[in-house]
Amino acid sequence: MIKEGKFGLAEAIILMAVSNVARVFLPYPRYLVELGGSAAWMTPIGGLAVTLVGAYIMSLVLKKNPDNTIIEITEEAFGSILGITFNLITIAFFISVCFLFVREFSEALITAALPETPISVIATVYIAIGLLGSYLGIEAIARSTRLTYIYVFGGIVLLLFALTPQWKFDNLFPVFGNGFFPIFGLGAFSTAAVTEIILAAVLVQAIGGADKYMRINFFAALIAFTVLGVLLAALVLTMGKEVATETSLPFYRLSRNIYLGRFFQRVEALFIIIWSIVGAIKIALTLYGASVSLARTLKLPDYRPLIWPLGLIVFIFSFLPPDLPTTMKLDTDFLRPFAHIPNYLLPLLILAAYWLKGRMRRAGS
Amino acid sequence: MNTLKTFLEMISYRENLDREGFILRENKDDKIAGPDSGGKDADKETSDKPQAKKRNFIKPRRPAEINYGIPPGKTDSASSALEQNREAINKLYGLPDNKDIITRDFFLGMNTTYKSMAVFIDGLTDKSVLNMLFEALMLFAEPPDADRGKLAALVMKALLPGNQVKMISSFKDILAAVNIGDTVLFFDGCAEAVAVETKGWEHRGVEMPVTEQIIRGPQEAFTETLRANTGLLRKIIKNENLTTEFFVVGRRSQTPVAVMYLRDLANPALVDEVKRRIKSIKTDAMLDSGVLEQLIEDHPYNLHPTILATERPDRVASKILEGRVAIIVDGSPFVLTAPATMYEQLHTGEELYNRWQYGTFIRWLRAAAFLLSFLLPGLYLAIVLYHQEMLPTELILAIAGNREKVPFPSIVEVLLMELSFELIREAGLRIPGVMGSTIGIVGALILGQAAVQANIVSPILVILVAVTGLASFAIPYYSLAFSLRIYRFIYIALGSMLGFFGISMGLFAHVALAANLKSFGVPYLAPTGPKTSDWTDVVSVAPVFFQEKRPDYINPLDLTRQPKVSRGWIKGGGNQDD
Repeated sequence: MIKEGKFGLAEAIILMAVSNVARVFLPYPRYLVELGGSAAWMTPIGGLAVTLVGAYIMSLVLKKNPDNTIIEITEEAFGSILGITFNLITIAFFISVCFLFVREFSEALITAALPETPISVIATVYIAIGLLGSYLGIEAIARSTRLTYIYVFGGIVLLLFALTPQWKFDNLFPVFGNGFFPIFGLGAFSTAAVTEIILAAVLVQAIGGADKYMRINFFAALIAFTVLGVLLAALVLTMGKEVATETSLPFYRLSRNIYLGRFFQRVEALFIIIWSIVGAIKIALTLYGASVSLARTLKLPDYRPLIWPLGLIVFIFSFLPPDLPTTMKLDTDFLRPFAHIPNYLLPLLILAAYWLKGRMRRAGS
Repeated sequence: MNTLKTFLEMISYRENLDREGFILRENKDDKIAGPDSGGKDADKETSDKPQAKKRNFIKPRRPAEINYGIPPGKTDSASSALEQNREAINKLYGLPDNKDIITRDFFLGMNTTYKSMAVFIDGLTDKSVLNMLFEALMLFAEPPDADRGKLAALVMKALLPGNQVKMISSFKDILAAVNIGDTVLFFDGCAEAVAVETKGWEHRGVEMPVTEQIIRGPQEAFTETLRANTGLLRKIIKNENLTTEFFVVGRRSQTPVAVMYLRDLANPALVDEVKRRIKSIKTDAMLDSGVLEQLIEDHPYNLHPTILATERPDRVASKILEGRVAIIVDGSPFVLTAPATMYEQLHTGEELYNRWQYGTFIRWLRAAAFLLSFLLPGLYLAIVLYHQEMLPTELILAIAGNREKVPFPSIVEVLLMELSFELIREAGLRIPGVMGSTIGIVGALILGQAAVQANIVSPILVILVAVTGLASFAIPYYSLAFSLRIYRFIYIALGSMLGFFGISMGLFAHVALAANLKSFGVPYLAPTGPKTSDWTDVVSVAPVFFQEKRPDYINPLDLTRQPKVSRGWIKGGGNQDD
């Protein structure tokens, strides 16, 4: 059995929330502004609803077998061949999240802070930290997240307050921006991919079991979607939707806008510390998720031997897209639709499989 | 003739045959197997195999094979014949070469038929106690008519004025007693010996703490004597549950190690674990508690220390009262307490003796010092090399103006100053006291003023290094400050190579590694990582009457320190004082 360690409810919520918040620091919010226009801040509402329903379905699935994780449950529900196929899809999902984040965070850092550093150096550092974090285990990642989250959320709050003098409330009009369907329909479809409820389902034994799963995801999603919504609002309020759609890194652009007197200005370098830490947490967490899922699929007693090869795969994959626009396109067109398979489709299929099995058993008897 | 010979010797050349004077040759049994293999085998081995082919490699020997000086077969019981005992003692101690060991013959009660002998070590025993002992045994004792075999018991019960007396019969116990300063008495015709406590060696008195000075609070420090140290603790905690257990560590040095804890408070599993680790140690000498710390700590490869060492009895007492375990090593004025957390290593105890507002202020100041001590030079390099836009224009212009004349890159400049500062620190510690003022002159003038005037470093860097140094001195625990000193260089490297990104990655790795540490089963970053409910005495200090609970993460047997209302005099407080 894989030793994962245990941690408390608060740590689990914070870990999941920080993991979900990570996307905010990337070009992602720009896409939402494009989608929703002046009402971009409403787009997460639909996503939150979808996430909560998804998390509820996932918790129902997890309660079918409270001693195991989603990996074992999938195999139990579909049998070994189909189950392993589904588990490999989940693992592929974690690896794609991991490598796209490595690439996007590295590109973001080059844009924001280290223009002359080769991307391989930054990606190597990220992978190294990811390897270290996943080697130390989920307990160490959760505890270090618990120790650093104050600075992450403190930084976001500081950013908001420092920008208030530049807010123009006219920018929020028209209230429903590009219309209901883009905001609540497409918005829900897109933002539902922000949370990785499948990751929490893989870590369910470490975060306190199936009973606490729903509560953890509820609060984590609430925090993440609030942050996303508030930042989108701040983005539109400060820059207006036209300028906001032109920035590739909206969060970075916002922090550059800070001007509070002569001394306190251009503090974006401070925010580099915040996002690179969030990026490291996210990368370590997804790498850990991938290796633990693979170890559970292969029924290995330890996940650690898998970290190195998986890290290498992530490292190589992160260099496959030729440039940042391709990476972003991959993120939008491939990863986000793909995310719905393990996050929302898989639990539904498992429930259906259980239901069918139950019917057949009843029919047989 | 003789004069001519001397003259010739003076002007002629002769080869100096004794050039090396003394050569320490390798032991025979070091080269060939263990001592148990016997001479024949050894000779055979050397003759069969040519010497040149032998690797220069000594086979490690198991401790059981090593002869520690006690002749085999001589550790058994004492004999009833005095002469045999004397022979055994002579052989065991290497008498008469060994001049510290005194064997004193006397007649019990001035009766020549009662031949007796006392064995003790000069320098470890108290002379006045010994004089009184001999006076009592020789002048005031009535030679008893009892059976010779029971003489020792009779002497012990009726004739000896010593305060701690016991009967022993095996030479192992006899050696142990003599080695720690007791006097052992042999009587002719009796197979048992009497050990009388006559310890009294030269030692330092209880003085002020040297490395952990405080303004408000007790000013006593531990000394090198184990018994004095346990006494200092017992003086503070006057409780029958305070337990002291003794262990002997070090096969050659036979150092006593004491483990102290409150029987009704410390978690038994913790106490057992501490005892288990100490008992398992196999080494030949234990010179200081620092050695023991390295032998029993959980993570020897991490830079952060996971055991606390302090020289202040009041601090150790407060740890014992929280349910921790204290470990005292004879000969070391630093007492270890376990488990230890990082926050605890940033406390001095003085914050609680002062009023809570002052304590809180000092702790926050120290928290800032903690961060500055390892981050400041790295951050400076990151800003100067990568993030110039972060600084206001005037400040960056001032820095650039100062740096203009300096011929080195910033990283060389920082390393130069940091290394010089480390040198001053080390030299200041080693310099003989009478020359102490030199270091001030060297440090202040040469490295400050002159280096700037010579355009070797920029003035802002001197300020920076000074602030870093001050911050590092503000960290109360020496080992923790030491680890941060080393971390500082890692952050300098990260900051100069990758800017803020490098520093934040370093911080994440640092935090993850520290969060992974455990000290005797307790997370090193408790009570923040993992979060427990203890908040009254971590960074902010709550008023004393709010500190109702002991730290939860130590899992003491009794969590409550004081009732909800500890001030009985306030309104409604009097009837709740249970």
